[in-house]
Amino acid sequence: MLTRSYSLPTRIGYGIAGVVLFVLLWKAVGVFGWVNPGILPDPFLLPETFLLEWQSDRLLPAIGSSLIHYVWGLGLGAVCGILVGLAAATIQRFDMLQSYVSRILRPIPPLAWVVFAIAWFKVSHAGAAFVIAIGVFWVNYFATYSAVRNIDPRFYELARSFGQGGYWRRSISITLPAIAPGLLSGVRTGIGQAWMTLIAAELLGVPGMGQEMNAAAGVGAYDAVVVYMLTISAVYAATDLLYTLVERRVLSWRP
Amino acid sequence: MASVIEFDRLAYTHPGAAAPVIENLSLDIEAGSFIAVVGGSGVGKSTLLRTAAGLLMPGSGEMRFNLPQRAGRRRRAIVFQDSRLLPWRTVEANIAYGLETLGIDKAQSAARVAEALRLTGLEELHDRWPHQLSGGQAQRVGIARALAVEPDILLMDEPFSAVDALTRRKLQTELIRIWETTHTAVMFVTHDIDEAVYLADRVVVLGNRPATVVENLQIDLPRPRDRNSTEFAQYVTHLSSWLGVE
Repeated sequence: MLTRSYSLPTRIGYGIAGVVLFVLLWKAVGVFGWVNPGILPDPFLLPETFLLEWQSDRLLPAIGSSLIHYVWGLGLGAVCGILVGLAAATIQRFDMLQSYVSRILRPIPPLAWVVFAIAWFKVSHAGAAFVIAIGVFWVNYFATYSAVRNIDPRFYELARSFGQGGYWRRSISITLPAIAPGLLSGVRTGIGQAWMTLIAAELLGVPGMGQEMNAAAGVGAYDAVVVYMLTISAVYAATDLLYTLVERRVLSWRP
Repeated sequence: MASVIEFDRLAYTHPGAAAPVIENLSLDIEAGSFIAVVGGSGVGKSTLLRTAAGLLMPGSGEMRFNLPQRAGRRRRAIVFQDSRLLPWRTVEANIAYGLETLGIDKAQSAARVAEALRLTGLEELHDRWPHQLSGGQAQRVGIARALAVEPDILLMDEPFSAVDALTRRKLQTELIRIWETTHTAVMFVTHDIDEAVYLADRVVVLGNRPATVVENLQIDLPRPRDRNSTEFAQYVTHLSSWLGVE
């Protein structure tokens, strides 16, 4: 728990110091020979590896390919999850119909669907996006469903009192804005979850960072593996930043 | 004078309950008049108001609106105890909420909102978010939202019971000023007899189980009313005797 409030420069300073310490410790492990140098890359050589991957035209196409899987998987999964979640939470008969189906399908890990992804889509962008979408779907489905269930019923009473009690009127004037915070936090969880599934989904052979990592590991180029790991981290940070900007805009009404 | 709303032998039973909350309740509210409804807690004051608001369906009896329905207006509008502002709308967007389904154009709607802001003294707060308002300000926005639909009757459900005593006094004075400007009939539910005598033309006491009107008292005091006058105290004492409080 934070007990004192430090200034922003101090906090940034500590953050950078932490990174430097981490890299030095990593370097020390190699220098003092605590592990076999073949399986732990030298952190100081990483910039060079990065440049090499970049110049050999492997890094950028891999990022591009991964982003295709990512954007489609995340987008489709989120949109479908939100729509089905909304329908289930607001239409009682549909809720009853889907209740057991969702309980049966939800526990299946997204990666278990890789088998069908290959069967249905072959080794393709669509297959990777499909696997990602499944994980994202459930996250958004449940976030939306519980956000709708948690709406204060007094808002619906207000809607009825002021002539906005019909299904569509009520959905647009109360339900959607009221669930926005819950819905967006579902989207954010999905953003993280999609990256995790992405790499695993690409290990099945679809071009992308996952495949490049697998290829590099196959020839013992662990420094390249680390470069891809760090790239994933950077792209994720960028996505999350984008998300934060959108959230701040959409939820500007919150204290 | 014509009555704006007429309850005729009204009865209401909560779903699943054996005994009715309200039975055989008849009451006329004249156009432009200010009626306060008092009664012990749980007697059915809110039930009556919510029936009037159309939020509950009466089990038997009738509720009649005697004024003609007019385009661009609502017959009734409610002010809740908890202000109930939509946190994702600014003050003016909250006030416009009831106007969005009235089929009036943008300019007209903006004019109505501006007028409601002016009446309630909220002009400067028009672009604030609800979380930036004090309890008293939020309650004013609730009143402005109800006034914007230009109802025949304003239904107020203990609207000042959640604010501090000083703010409550100010809001009471304000409400009388607004009412004297708009001539909208008001049905004001409260458990505070002092508040009822200060505000209303007539005070209706609900009593018995199931509830009926046990007293319907005209308050013949000029406004602004002096809470410290002997006459004021006599009204309060008389009404208190109905509620079994000394």
